[in-house]
Amino acid sequence: MNKTPLDDRDEKPVRRISATNLSAQLRYRAQGNPPSAAPESAPANCYPGLVADFRAVWRRILVGIVLHEATNFVVKAYGELAPLKGHRLLSVDGVPLVVQVKGPLRGAIDDASQPLTDGEVGDDLVVLEWANALAAIMPKAGTPVTCLFTKEKSDDLTLPELTEDQTITKQLKVRNFFERSDANAPIRPVIARRLAQPGELTQGLCSPWQSDFRECACYYWAASRPDYVNVEPDVRIGSRGHNWLARDRSAPPEYVLDPRGGEDERLLTEVELLNAWERVLRFVIAGNDSE
Amino acid sequence: MNPDIHLFASDRGRHLFVVGGSQLFDVDQATYDEFDGAWRRDDRTAVARLLEELGIQRPPPPEAASVAQDGIHAISLAVAQTCNLACRYCYADEGTFGGGAQLMSQETAAAAVDLLCDGAPAGARLNLAFLGGEPLTNRGVLRAATERATERAAARGLSITFSVTTNGTLLDSSDAEFFERHGFAITISLDGLRDAHNLLRPFKHGKGSYDAILARVMPLLAAQRRMQVSARVTVTPSNLDLRDTLREFVDRGFHSVGFSPVLSAPSGAGEMGAGDLSRMLAEMIACGREFERQIAAGNRFPFANMVNALRELHRGTHRPYPCGAAAGYFGVSADGTMSACHRFVGNDLGRMGSLSNGIDAGRRTLWLTERHVDRQLPCQSCWARYLCGGGCHHEVLTRGRVACDYIRGWLQYCLDAYVRLLEQCPDYFDTSASR
Repeated sequence: MNKTPLDDRDEKPVRRISATNLSAQLRYRAQGNPPSAAPESAPANCYPGLVADFRAVWRRILVGIVLHEATNFVVKAYGELAPLKGHRLLSVDGVPLVVQVKGPLRGAIDDASQPLTDGEVGDDLVVLEWANALAAIMPKAGTPVTCLFTKEKSDDLTLPELTEDQTITKQLKVRNFFERSDANAPIRPVIARRLAQPGELTQGLCSPWQSDFRECACYYWAASRPDYVNVEPDVRIGSRGHNWLARDRSAPPEYVLDPRGGEDERLLTEVELLNAWERVLRFVIAGNDSE
Repeated sequence: MNPDIHLFASDRGRHLFVVGGSQLFDVDQATYDEFDGAWRRDDRTAVARLLEELGIQRPPPPEAASVAQDGIHAISLAVAQTCNLACRYCYADEGTFGGGAQLMSQETAAAAVDLLCDGAPAGARLNLAFLGGEPLTNRGVLRAATERATERAAARGLSITFSVTTNGTLLDSSDAEFFERHGFAITISLDGLRDAHNLLRPFKHGKGSYDAILARVMPLLAAQRRMQVSARVTVTPSNLDLRDTLREFVDRGFHSVGFSPVLSAPSGAGEMGAGDLSRMLAEMIACGREFERQIAAGNRFPFANMVNALRELHRGTHRPYPCGAAAGYFGVSADGTMSACHRFVGNDLGRMGSLSNGIDAGRRTLWLTERHVDRQLPCQSCWARYLCGGGCHHEVLTRGRVACDYIRGWLQYCLDAYVRLLEQCPDYFDTSASR
């Protein structure tokens, strides 16, 4: 039987090592990892948002509910708080989470405190970023704070200044933001495990198998997913190969241009990528994904 | 000994220390055996290949030429080349460095302060140290230099810290107030408990100094807020009972307690032999074990040698020199001569120019080139060279490398302890790495 390169790799002894001290951790690049796996060359140096969505660490800061990372919508709620799912959290410990944006409007420069609206109801309201709005409750970890919710489920933003019969008031306990080995130990410079479930810090990032890979084409950043595959040299035009979205990538290489905004039946659609990326795509090995 | 790697086993598993970059890895038995085989064959090529296959890079330490480009960030002033004690093993030869007693003038101290502060780049973190002899015999100049440095650093937006090493016999309440106000790091030389110390550190008239020092130091210990008062124990064959010394000084409230052996003394008195160093290593390890117990129990235990070694191992410090001498640090003698460090006052071996004529760039570059640990023997073949840096320049140049086994033994114990503590008390390293 002919050996493939993978067979050769299997014959090498499997070595297990683990970087222990900081200099080893910083410099070590595991076998197979690209240069961007090293801290000094990671995309996060320029684009932190490509590695983790830090907003997500605030979603579970209050025991019993899970917030949306970018708005005051209650995504999940547990136990006796379960009915609050779909409600809006209006204020925490007296700090409003929704504010009206005011400023000078064109043609009315004398009055710098007009609500900035285009006329749509509520488009002058914004939810404060959690890192600002909730920072003040961090020292109150382990103790309850007063939380004001809309009385009803709501798709729309509202200001906290509602009458008592339009709101629900609950006492929710604040979670530790930083990890501790035990209750009496000093805080460690590590975000508390209970603030995020596995995957939650990255689930809001771009979806590499789906739309973002298509939108960020032309070799933009997805080095681990080339958008020009099965490339062969061609003396006439330099090279020939497939668009990574081509339905048939075993046919003779012919690049089908992505129509952007339209569809070409020779290319996979975004819906197909979303629903079945693991079936319609293959791993690209040595520039080749047709095998 | 392989100069590229160091292998060791503990009850936590097998460990690989990569000398370049001071990187520590846990490895499985098979990997350990592969490295061990290459190591036993003295096959550096095979070791290099294994490291490459594992993706382990080995950055070299800084070269002399790049270090020589660095600016000055620390200066020590020998404000008083005289002392009221008569310790026979003093590297400064009872404070005078083999010459007559001298006090630094205020003008000389001011010139040194200006050299430090005016040449520093924006944002620099500087240190001004006062040494001697006994620096408090020239208290006025010490204070004036401190005030001047504070003002000049503030005017340029620089951060500056102060330190003083004193025998403690002249401390008074006004010193406590002054040191506290300027956040001094104060090192008190205490060479053992009462009997040992009195034998080793008598006044010139012969009487022991321990009680006099403690009477003056205790109020300082109680007043510590910004200032930090540490004990430094110089170890001779006569004061090897380190465990009791450490415990006593920690209990008395010293910010930290550190030990350092006498390897070279002008008179030869007190120098440690191989047997003494072996006994000292056993004592140091016993102190380290006590440190491990205390940390595991959640207590602060300021055994400086251990705290520093663990911090450096955790960071993976790899240094081409044992200290900053002639790199970012220079000593200034009472007459304004500059030296590689405070130990080379009056010694041509480490002369580096003068305040009036500036640092002798040629001598500095030559020093950094020749003293680089990669140029030292037998350091080139030692796995610990980037942790140790080659040993104190002054001791090596005057007596040679007599403590290598002691240093390696200590570092090996610290590696073992690091592996243990990293598993038992990871919190400890979260905060120690940034200190």
